[in-house]
Amino acid sequence: MKRWLRIQWDPIDEAALAHERTISRGIGAVIYFLGVVREREGEANISAIDYEAFEKMAARQFEKIFEAVERRWPIESVRVVHRIGCVHVNEPSLWIEVTAPHRGEAFAACQFIIDEMKKVVPIWKRPITETSSANLDRTARPGTNH
Amino acid sequence: MKVLVTFHSYFRDLTGATQVLEDVPSGTTLGELVHSLQKRFPKLKSMERSTLMAVDVEYQTRDYQLHDGDEVSLFPPVQGG
Repeated sequence: MKRWLRIQWDPIDEAALAHERTISRGIGAVIYFLGVVREREGEANISAIDYEAFEKMAARQFEKIFEAVERRWPIESVRVVHRIGCVHVNEPSLWIEVTAPHRGEAFAACQFIIDEMKKVVPIWKRPITETSSANLDRTARPGTNH
Repeated sequence: MKVLVTFHSYFRDLTGATQVLEDVPSGTTLGELVHSLQKRFPKLKSMERSTLMAVDVEYQTRDYQLHDGDEVSLFPPVQGG
């Protein structure tokens, strides 16, 4: 199974990801999931979510999830992009693509990846409200002057 | 022996620290280390039941026996997606 993971500060470029897709002649299902920041977080209206990752461990935990997927379903490829830093409402924070011979295993594997990610991958979110948006120092990526 | 402890997410706020270098006796377990940190950083105690622990990039339990140079991470429940 081909595996591909990116944890990135940049916005998720769906068109570029689709353009980079390669599938074999045996593939009958290509599905992808977008996780998008919504404006309600609990009882609060928010303007964005500030995502933080322990990247080295996140990569290892995703790898273990991919290993579990490979053991369980005949998946050809998995690609995952998780954004970190400040992600505004309506923007995607997560993109997952699964390719497989049939849709059943593709949907099941995608759901599994999301469920497991939410249990073990060390990524955290901090809701940004209008009042807290003035203090976004940590959301500036390393090496920038923001 | 020395172990480096990193606090992630709002655990940094609870402790006021990003990292601390701890000098612990040989044979110390991860649980014992966390217990001593809870004494020094009392706000950590309130998160005791939901504190996740890792050494390097793997989750570990309280009975994990620490080694010199271990890099320990403490953090709250994860929230990706």
